[in-house]
Amino acid sequence: MSGGHVKLESLTKRFGDVTAVDGISVEVKAGEFFSLLGPSGCGKTSTLRMIAGFEPPTSGKILLDGTDVGKWAPHRRNVNTVFQSYALFPFLTVAENVAFGMKYKSVPKSERDSRVGEALEMVQLSGYEKRRPNQLSGGQQQRVALARALVLRPSVLLLDEPLGALDAKLRRTLQVELGALQKHVGITFLYVTHDQEEALTMSDRLAVMNHGRIAQLGTPEEVYNEPADAYVADFLGVSNLMDAQVEPRGNGQGPCRLRVGEFTLEAQAGQLDATGAVKVAIRPERIHLRPYETAGVNCVPGMVERLVFLGSTTHIYVRLATGAPLQALVRNEGDAVPYSQGTPVNVDLPADALRVLPDPGVSVSEIHDETLGDQLLDVTSGAPASS
Amino acid sequence: MASTVGDPVTTSSASAGQEKLTSRGRPRGNPWRRPWAMEGFTWLYIVWSIVPIAIAVLFSFNKGSSQATWQGFSTKWYVGNQVTSVLHNPSLHQAVVQTLVLAVITTLICVPIGVGFAIGIDRWRTRTANGLNILMIFSFVIPELLLAVALFLLVTQALTFIKLGTPAEVAGLVVWNISWPAIIVRARLVSIGPSYEEAACDLGASRLGAIRRVLLPLLAPAIFASAVLVFASTVDDFVIVEQLSSTANTQPMSVLIYSNVHAGLSGPALNALATIMLVLSLAAALIGYVGYRWMSRGERSKGSADALAGIAGI
Repeated sequence: MSGGHVKLESLTKRFGDVTAVDGISVEVKAGEFFSLLGPSGCGKTSTLRMIAGFEPPTSGKILLDGTDVGKWAPHRRNVNTVFQSYALFPFLTVAENVAFGMKYKSVPKSERDSRVGEALEMVQLSGYEKRRPNQLSGGQQQRVALARALVLRPSVLLLDEPLGALDAKLRRTLQVELGALQKHVGITFLYVTHDQEEALTMSDRLAVMNHGRIAQLGTPEEVYNEPADAYVADFLGVSNLMDAQVEPRGNGQGPCRLRVGEFTLEAQAGQLDATGAVKVAIRPERIHLRPYETAGVNCVPGMVERLVFLGSTTHIYVRLATGAPLQALVRNEGDAVPYSQGTPVNVDLPADALRVLPDPGVSVSEIHDETLGDQLLDVTSGAPASS
Repeated sequence: MASTVGDPVTTSSASAGQEKLTSRGRPRGNPWRRPWAMEGFTWLYIVWSIVPIAIAVLFSFNKGSSQATWQGFSTKWYVGNQVTSVLHNPSLHQAVVQTLVLAVITTLICVPIGVGFAIGIDRWRTRTANGLNILMIFSFVIPELLLAVALFLLVTQALTFIKLGTPAEVAGLVVWNISWPAIIVRARLVSIGPSYEEAACDLGASRLGAIRRVLLPLLAPAIFASAVLVFASTVDDFVIVEQLSSTANTQPMSVLIYSNVHAGLSGPALNALATIMLVLSLAAALIGYVGYRWMSRGERSKGSADALAGIAGI
């Protein structure tokens, strides 16, 4: 259980002409819950597979506790993986599956049974030893896969979208359990997911990936509250992005004023010293809708286009007078939402919630497309579709 | 029945949008009606293909020596007759033994090579590998007689250390049947995917260890199914063994039946021999089907087991 420090140095992976991972450098501390987050095709799974040893890096280094293991075979690395498909051996019982790897780790035979028992207890599957994987539910199979990897006490546990195949409610439960388990065993968890909620709830730190590069690295709070660019802002939850122009300031002092369409807004977050074209982002939960007659600073008239009831909240799709579509989030507090389709409203965009982001030079809709992921370049299978 | 067929027609033609007419001008019928024509044709086909076989089997149990007139039930052509029954006529007896020997040896040689080929091709993902894979389909395409004659020339002119008779027969049958394990096992490999092997390596197994402890158990149903197919196909084979057999001692059942019938030497004993051949093939197919289902019982709801059984024709 010692160690667990992972350092990637300019790690690159190319499949033919396609660059899946483009020179990323990350340091994961021992005992950390670290997530790689991004849409499919962003290179997160390729990164994980290189650390596990299933793919050789094209260039760069993988340092595990200071040793470059980039060219080592998977079975020589003190790293274990929980696969998205679980990959439980169907012809073995649960106990045999969990005990599979101990044969290679020179665990004395007398100790194996007790360690299998401990591992199954840890994932709350005691009493399931004699079952076969196909007699278990998806969530139980996922736990067996976890026990099978943890019983070997690796220094790093790699998790490749382990909750991807489960339904939403079970996923939430397991997120909490997985986070608690990680704190309990103290092993470094390297978690790959496309689900921003998963990454935010469980991680100590996370890296948002895009096009094989790391777009932002930080704690969940940092990445969510202070996204470095429009892509990260859009990928982490619904973010309302708008094109804006920074109004020139005489002496470089004073508030940052933005021109959005024919309106002028004040922003107090993000890159306040930016000039020229920028993107401006605001989280749906920070937008306030007010009656049409009211007026105020940072208020823009708009019209309700659609209401989507989500249980605890209601999403209100509003189109601003500038033409930009926005989503506002209203908590359900027992009252009916006083808006309906076509209601004119005044949209209050608080200055401290308006975040100025550098202009990536592409349109808002292109950023949306990017965060949906490049489905054609699905590297989860380990090779590009073209080979 | 007429009403169940007729009623939906009137209801469907009453509803708008479904009033399209067939080329004969009638309204389209109930799409869920019983497919009488298809069913009838299927039964006709089954009768057509089974009745001659059933008659041949039936006359192997004839009391008399006629192959056309039923004279009562007897097993004399199998065991009873001291001279001409399959049990006591040395040439018929020898043919059964030779068929079994060829089938067992061919299966034992063919399956390991085919499995090795499938695993190798699956790992070695290059253009050459794809080409070799296509080569495997060749034996389904090229005429068997062509291969048989070519092999005959090969072993009589060039590779003379392979003697005509059992060695040449086995060599020919292995070449002809190797595609079964190669194709079936590879299909299974593709449906298994690389993740189980990766998991084994991840847990500490070497590549060979992963193949031995994980891949082979997963492939077991496919290996078994292909072994059964090779066995059954060898029992049935005629063209290759006919070319490559030498003396009467190395003639399997198919060749013996053919040559005897050709020479006008027929009788219910030959029917008995043919029936034994049929039973061997059917038993192999049945064992294969049951065994495959049993071995892959842990993988329900994947559909791969049934798909493979479909490919294998069992």
